[in-house]
Amino acid sequence: MRAAILIPLFPLAGWVVNGLLGDRWGRRAVAWVACGTVVAAFAVSLAVLARLLALPPGARSAAVVLYEWIGTGSVRAPLGLLVDPLSVALALVVSGVGALIHIYSVGYMAGDEHIARYFAYLNLFMASMLWLVLAGNLVAMFIGWEGVGLCSYLLIAFWFTRPPAAAAGVKAFLVTRLGDVGFLLGIFLAFAVFGTTDFTAMARAAGSRLPLGGPAATALALLLFLGATGKSAQLPLYVWLPDAMEGPTPVSALIHAATMVTAGVYMIVRMHAVYLRAPLALDVVAIVGAATAIFAAAAALAEPDLKRVLAYSTISQLGYMFLGVGVGAWSDGIFHLTSHAFFKALLFLAAGAVMHALGGETDMRRMGGLAGRLPATAGAFAVGALALAGIWPFAGFFSKEAILSDAFRAGRVWLWAVALAAAGLTALYIARAFALVFVLPPGEGSAGPAGCREGDAPRAAGHRGLAPGAEVADPPPVMRWPMGALALLTLLGGALGWSAARPGVLARWLGPLLAPGALRSSEGTHGSEAALAAAGLAVAVAGIVLVWLVYVRRALRVRSQAVQTVLAHRFYVEDFYAAAVVAPVRAVARWAGGFDRAVIDGAVVGLARAIGGGGAVLRRLQSGYLRHYAALALVGVLALLAYWMWR
Amino acid sequence: MTWADLSLIAPELALAAAACAALLQDAWATGPALESRSRGPAAAWIALGGVCAALLLLGVRPAGAAQVGFAGMYVRDGITRVVDLAALAAAGLGVMLSPPYLERFRLPAGEYHALLLLSTAGAMLMGASRNLVLLFLGLEMLSFPLYVLAALARRSRRSQEAGLKYLLLGAFATAFFVYGVALVYGASGTADLSRLGRAPDVPLLHAGVAFLVIGLGFEAALVPFHAWAPDVYEGAPMPATAFMSVIAKVGAFAGLLRLFPQALPQLAPAWGQMLAAIAVATMILGNLAALAQSNVKRLLAYSGVAHAGYILIGIASGGPAGSSAVLYYLLVYVAMNLGAFGVLLLLERRGEEADRVEDLAGLLGRAPWAAVVLAACMVSLAGLPPTAGFIAKLYLFRAALQDHRVALALVGALTSVVSVYYYLRVASVALSAGAADAVAVRHSRFAGVGLALAAAGVLWLGIVPGAITALVQQAVQALR
Amino acid sequence: MSGEAIAFYVLAAVTLGSGVVVVTSPNVVHSAVALVPTFLGVTGIYVLLSAEFVAVIQVLIYAGAITVLILFVIMLTEGGTGIRARQRNEQGAIGAAVAAAMAGLLIAVAVRTPWARLPGTLPTYTPGAIGQSFLGPNLLVFEGTSVVLLVSLVGAIVIARKEE
Repeated sequence: MRAAILIPLFPLAGWVVNGLLGDRWGRRAVAWVACGTVVAAFAVSLAVLARLLALPPGARSAAVVLYEWIGTGSVRAPLGLLVDPLSVALALVVSGVGALIHIYSVGYMAGDEHIARYFAYLNLFMASMLWLVLAGNLVAMFIGWEGVGLCSYLLIAFWFTRPPAAAAGVKAFLVTRLGDVGFLLGIFLAFAVFGTTDFTAMARAAGSRLPLGGPAATALALLLFLGATGKSAQLPLYVWLPDAMEGPTPVSALIHAATMVTAGVYMIVRMHAVYLRAPLALDVVAIVGAATAIFAAAAALAEPDLKRVLAYSTISQLGYMFLGVGVGAWSDGIFHLTSHAFFKALLFLAAGAVMHALGGETDMRRMGGLAGRLPATAGAFAVGALALAGIWPFAGFFSKEAILSDAFRAGRVWLWAVALAAAGLTALYIARAFALVFVLPPGEGSAGPAGCREGDAPRAAGHRGLAPGAEVADPPPVMRWPMGALALLTLLGGALGWSAARPGVLARWLGPLLAPGALRSSEGTHGSEAALAAAGLAVAVAGIVLVWLVYVRRALRVRSQAVQTVLAHRFYVEDFYAAAVVAPVRAVARWAGGFDRAVIDGAVVGLARAIGGGGAVLRRLQSGYLRHYAALALVGVLALLAYWMWR
Repeated sequence: MTWADLSLIAPELALAAAACAALLQDAWATGPALESRSRGPAAAWIALGGVCAALLLLGVRPAGAAQVGFAGMYVRDGITRVVDLAALAAAGLGVMLSPPYLERFRLPAGEYHALLLLSTAGAMLMGASRNLVLLFLGLEMLSFPLYVLAALARRSRRSQEAGLKYLLLGAFATAFFVYGVALVYGASGTADLSRLGRAPDVPLLHAGVAFLVIGLGFEAALVPFHAWAPDVYEGAPMPATAFMSVIAKVGAFAGLLRLFPQALPQLAPAWGQMLAAIAVATMILGNLAALAQSNVKRLLAYSGVAHAGYILIGIASGGPAGSSAVLYYLLVYVAMNLGAFGVLLLLERRGEEADRVEDLAGLLGRAPWAAVVLAACMVSLAGLPPTAGFIAKLYLFRAALQDHRVALALVGALTSVVSVYYYLRVASVALSAGAADAVAVRHSRFAGVGLALAAAGVLWLGIVPGAITALVQQAVQALR
Repeated sequence: MSGEAIAFYVLAAVTLGSGVVVVTSPNVVHSAVALVPTFLGVTGIYVLLSAEFVAVIQVLIYAGAITVLILFVIMLTEGGTGIRARQRNEQGAIGAAVAAAMAGLLIAVAVRTPWARLPGTLPTYTPGAIGQSFLGPNLLVFEGTSVVLLVSLVGAIVIARKEE
């Protein structure tokens, strides 16, 4: 099992090699190193999977301790890995999808002069992400947790010469860091409660150390969930993800759809023993998940920018995953995570292919009728869209239905209803996007808010949008093959979770590890299962038909201006943020920094009047702010004295 | 005085001897000329030899029970050992990182190195103080050379101004310190720190303690005694800024450690609350002000203020956990702050210091190793894993929680989130691909080794902290 | 009121009064000269405390040497004796308030402290005893002070040295 350490080490080596030598090598060497290390990580993951399969189901868990990392008094944390069915499953998804996206990047970034830096960051991200899923305790996981955040920041701001990109990177980092404070405090609380943050030890001791529903369990679960809301872009910390689309599209596919943003879901499943002791926190998780699912789906509906539609869609789908784990359906949460990784990566890669063809255009209002000119891309996008909408037999159908039926069977009928409505919206927005980009003739876009976003690719100087007679073609094979592979996975992925007799393959694989969830009645009859699935399917189909009626046939028109406006402003949440959070922070920063500017300037002017003469040196030396500093210190002295007198 | 006494202060003696040697070598090399011409590495080698000798003398002494000398004034125990290590690391790195700058800006090398070594000895004395008088003397020996170092660039008015400001405000704060010593002596009848624990609990003692905080708080740049730091950091020649940014903290926090958790445990609730309030103010003001800075020296000055606030968490929490966290943080801070300054020292913009953030643009392309070191130090200053800054903050916050100071840990965690923004802005500019045309990078093998050592420290203390953790734990065993 | 107390209050008044002149006089020479009674007042208080040796040193070094040095510097400065600088600024009111508050707090400290009357005799502050102390228990401080003085010398040279 010690070989598992190689999984994050390979991409790390790729980072070191490409980061240091990449500029001196040719593009081909850089690409080979970057892709090779990730493929190697995938291969090692497969080997580890084989080793685990050879073991009896109860013994498929091994701790690999590298060495004692932190060790003082009550705080002890070894630097180590935990190799078990859950971490290996995640490692396979991350390295597999990661490898495909690396290969796609070779074609997508072919024209960029900083390709070595790009691949170095991407490899560092892979190393951090693989470390995150393999880490054996919370502190070790935090390394990966921060590492992926750092790489996300670097990659969003990859084209940092464009102000929106730089600002988006900063925004992403700051907002997720807010969540990380919760995570960090959760680590401390875990130390206080368990004396360790080792996952296995915590799972074993949770029953005895954490009273059911007690404040310690609830606080720990909620603090960790705060970290998850930041990293996984849930309400109310989701605001960074749509802006993160300023990064290159493969980055959006890898980090902001398939892997990093799902870290919060993984972490909760990893800590499920703690969450089982805190029913209140689980309810919070489920409610936040359902609310995010419907809110983000609605926001996606009014978005004119293709990548931002997909970003809101990701937020919404992450909400489903949280809803799933919130009702205790751990393995179905992971199932949806996996199938979402497949189909959302596919959608992003297809969107990237569209942008590739259109010179970086992302505004759907300037697209249209591309199905004929980009047949392969349109096909890939259609597969992803159908999976996202939840149409049988694509992977998304199975995983989404699993979560919906879990919510229903857990007795959370309201949450089920919300999620079902969100499923309808999902079908609606993705069908709308498909119609706008591929079906409708150009210029027939909906009346969204004005002001399109900056384009994606840096080489967008030439033609943007659909110029008549411009050459528009499907991407080169190096980009088409990964899309094909993901489309295949999207088609077949459903087999992981759905079988005639539940639990499915994935649930049985994870089974020994995950304590049964909080599902109230786990015996669903086949009849009710089928009815639930039919309901979900019916809603999805209804959504698609509605789009067909509204956009293609023009049979229905959304007339209400008010509904359009509210949707276009994403329910005003970002405006509220700007007014209530960002502006005051900026103002305070400006005040604190401007404080001594003001003091200095005021003092210089005042002294110039006071002295009138004297040399320039004298004026500078005795510029007067010394006395201000001294006065400040004296006030401090007084405060200290007064404190001691009247304490 | 006995040989035993002398052997106790052997590391300090080695530094003083090297300082004199550096001055004499300078005089000998200069001859009758008015201004020193020796800008070669001779003085640097002498200073480095002194530091190495001191480290060696520190190392050969077995880490055993505390030894007291000079009629109970001086104590060599675990805390002394770690403080000496931090101070000598600061001196060693300070010596190694400076030569390119000294040569380029024609600063007197002999004086620079002599003052640096004597200041280091002062910080070490503060760490070994068992008597308020010696603590005061250490404070003077630490700060006098810093005043001169700040004014070392004679041709620069900003440097002269910085030196004068530092001197005047320093004298102001030191006066309060002396007054505090007198009041404490008046209340307890002794200046012996080991006997203050039995001092009567009278207002006079409290007032004395309040005044002592001012002198030490000034050197550490705690709010509201921090106002000098941005101006002096900005005006002083950069090697002096780099060195003073760490050595003043080492000395001041060693003094605070000797004074509060060790000498006055009976007043712990009272001073704990006072220091906690100062820490909160310092962390908030330092971090918020740093956000708005575009000058790296000024940014690092406010960052230094913020870090003083973090370290004070450990003092305020007291006990072995807090004290060991302080010692660990000091070691980490020396490595990461000098690493960051060391990279800036390699740069030059049209005959001036390159101290604007945008001067760092494109560093990755021209000096990849320096850019990587800078990024690592920034990540560490921000407190992100797997660097040393993360572990150091982890220990501090844990100490605060153990002492039930949840607010301190919370403010610390939140302000470190804010700090990530300005540190990573610097790092991302350095790692970006643009180019600051006017900025030249000077390569120096001497400074390169120093940078490598600093970076190695930042990573080593973050990834394999075991050995040093054991050292600082052992150091505070005697504390209750 | 005992004679000693009367002497103390008179000396304190002299010290404080001339100290106020030092910081308020618009003429630097006046300020420098007003230092002399300030130092002498302190000397008197040393005598009252039976610290004769320190008193003598105070007169020699401070009232004598340092004041003279300051006057020399003023006269050597170009136009030094003619400088008339306003000593007050916009911070006057704040300064007065802070000073008053500080005085009030310190007085409160002194009043609220129960002063223990320790039995025993005062140590002898003869030159011999002080010398013994410097080379005995306070040797490290003595040595350290010499280092600080060395630093001051180096600093003075660095700052005052002529340009090449």
